[in-house]
Amino acid sequence: MKKGWAFLVMWMLLPAMACDKPVQEGATGSPTPPLDMEVLKKALSYARGRTPEERGWPRTIDYTYRIHDFRMDAFQEEKRTFEVKQRPMRIVPHAVGVAEILWAICPRERLIAFNDLSADPEFCVLAEEIQERDRTFKTKQTERIIAYEPDLVFTVFYSGAEFKEKLKQANIPYFDLGYFGTIESIRSLTLLLGRVIGEEGNAEALVELMDAKTRELNSKIPKDRSGVRVLYYDEGGYVPGRSSNFNSICEIIRAVNVGGEQGVKSWSQIDYETLLKWDPEIILVPEGSGLKEQVRSNQMLAHAGAVKEGKVFAVPGIYLRVASQYMILSANYLAGVVYEGVF
Amino acid sequence: MKGSSSLVRSKEAVLLGILVFLVLLGGFLAVSYGSWSIEKQDVLRILLAKFGLYDGPIDKVESTIVWDGRMPRLVVGFLVGFSLAAAGAIMQGVFKNPMASPGVIGISSGAALGAVTALYLGLAARSLFVLPLFAILFALITLVMVFIIATSRGQTSVSTLLLAGIALNLIFGAMTSFVITMSTREFDAGRVIVTWLMGDLNNRSWEHVQIVLPTTVLGLMGTLFFLKDLNILMIGEETATNLGVNIRLARNMLLLASSIQTGGAIAVSGVIGFVGLLAPHMVRGLVGPDNRKLIPLAGLLGAVFVIYADLFVRLVVQVDLKIGVLTSLMGGPFFLYLIIRYRNRFEYL
Repeated sequence: MKKGWAFLVMWMLLPAMACDKPVQEGATGSPTPPLDMEVLKKALSYARGRTPEERGWPRTIDYTYRIHDFRMDAFQEEKRTFEVKQRPMRIVPHAVGVAEILWAICPRERLIAFNDLSADPEFCVLAEEIQERDRTFKTKQTERIIAYEPDLVFTVFYSGAEFKEKLKQANIPYFDLGYFGTIESIRSLTLLLGRVIGEEGNAEALVELMDAKTRELNSKIPKDRSGVRVLYYDEGGYVPGRSSNFNSICEIIRAVNVGGEQGVKSWSQIDYETLLKWDPEIILVPEGSGLKEQVRSNQMLAHAGAVKEGKVFAVPGIYLRVASQYMILSANYLAGVVYEGVF
Repeated sequence: MKGSSSLVRSKEAVLLGILVFLVLLGGFLAVSYGSWSIEKQDVLRILLAKFGLYDGPIDKVESTIVWDGRMPRLVVGFLVGFSLAAAGAIMQGVFKNPMASPGVIGISSGAALGAVTALYLGLAARSLFVLPLFAILFALITLVMVFIIATSRGQTSVSTLLLAGIALNLIFGAMTSFVITMSTREFDAGRVIVTWLMGDLNNRSWEHVQIVLPTTVLGLMGTLFFLKDLNILMIGEETATNLGVNIRLARNMLLLASSIQTGGAIAVSGVIGFVGLLAPHMVRGLVGPDNRKLIPLAGLLGAVFVIYADLFVRLVVQVDLKIGVLTSLMGGPFFLYLIIRYRNRFEYL
């Protein structure tokens, strides 16, 4: 019987053990990106354009709500209308990407709370800044959000229907945002957010900044080195395809996302044999996954060009997950990895 | 009488022949086809060279793909199918219950919980052996727990054992769900866990064979010692006692053997459903309840199921269908068909 209790006690301690999850492998040393990471982050975190007009409220926002069918790799669109009665002053974003964009274009005192993933450095570039604000909620803690008395909540396409229904019952207006993930969709989202919160000038400034930084980044990449074939090999053997944010990041740095090149749409699981057949020049794996060692020690993959050339790199997960203006930051980091020794 | 006995023997021989043929054919298809196109004669040359029967030139890359990629996947599939089906046959015999399978007394859920825990804690990333070790360890711990609960004053009640198994299944199922819920925060970990729970033979290597081969052999050897006792046990405990069978020892050892086989199989493949339930039933319908024939033949049929299911998901289906999902999707309706078709004729003993 004692054994049974010991087993139960051990299992109860699992969540605590999980908090001390060790990192199994280091990142790819310290890559030297073309642009200074700190300076770039700072620039992308604060965009100011023309002063917003005080008039124009209430305003009607006509927008296209897009849902991405990942399997068919096609967008489904519908026209939607949303009425904003007055300039929102107590805003709550329900997703990390939206929070990151708002952080740059909206006066920060108007952002009253963030979901807990926004305070997690594994998921959000601004985790440190948001932790300091000390106003976070768990994604499904609707009551807590209601208690903050927001005058606008930005929900996203994956926010639950029951969550939106509760907001509706509490008479809290919510603006439902469609798919975003590629750099183009993030540009459109930024401009839309600007219109909704009455900060069009800042939104335009951020989009211009993103374009300028993309050009600057592009200009640093030597022309003869562009077109490097990069494969992101995730846990479980999943690779991102052409609808992924990774694809956009590759486009920014003029690299080729091998998953997209080989016809993967969103994400697909491949085996080592397929990886060997695709033969990427560079393989990126998430840091701490143990995949770097697995890939490097696999006998079959010993024949892969990337393994033979020692081009298997572990990259911090945040740079592979980001879906906001900070994709430029990710692209900058990955440029340092992919074009190693160039900058 | 003599005629009917030889008829049964020839039926067994035919079944054995068919199963061996199917294993060989499936095996050849499995090593011949993949994303990398290799000519069949080259595959044959590579295999012959590996067994020292050919010393001509072979392509190094192709040789590695066949021998280090496709071959271990095939061998793991064979051993997993064999283990699950053999364990199912043993469980059905021990519990004298046609619905019994490794899942019934909580072994499968225990092993699944162990594996999911290793994945969630990030320990599975440290070494290839950690996840299987957790799965086998949790399977054995489950067995010990079930026995501790079901044993009173030195007697283990079969019905209490089954009830304890049902309770542990529910508890472990809830714990697994809890781990999945926690892991959804970490998208990558969550996806790996869910994929693993659906059963998968992707990227299996010789290291995985090293894990599942000993558990299969150990389980089979343990079973061999008590095969005769298992047959007697199925007649009835009173008869078994009169014939000098140590019921408690035989039952416990058989359950231990099947748990080791199940733990080892789940450890390397994830959860693959219905093989342990379906294969013994089909074989029993053809060769009768004698476990000396039933267990090896059911094992071979289980291996055929898994090999062909893996071939199907790997080569035919172009979406991310997992092997465990396929075996359940095909096995479930087929099992229902068998029940309806033979509901009046199911001769268990």
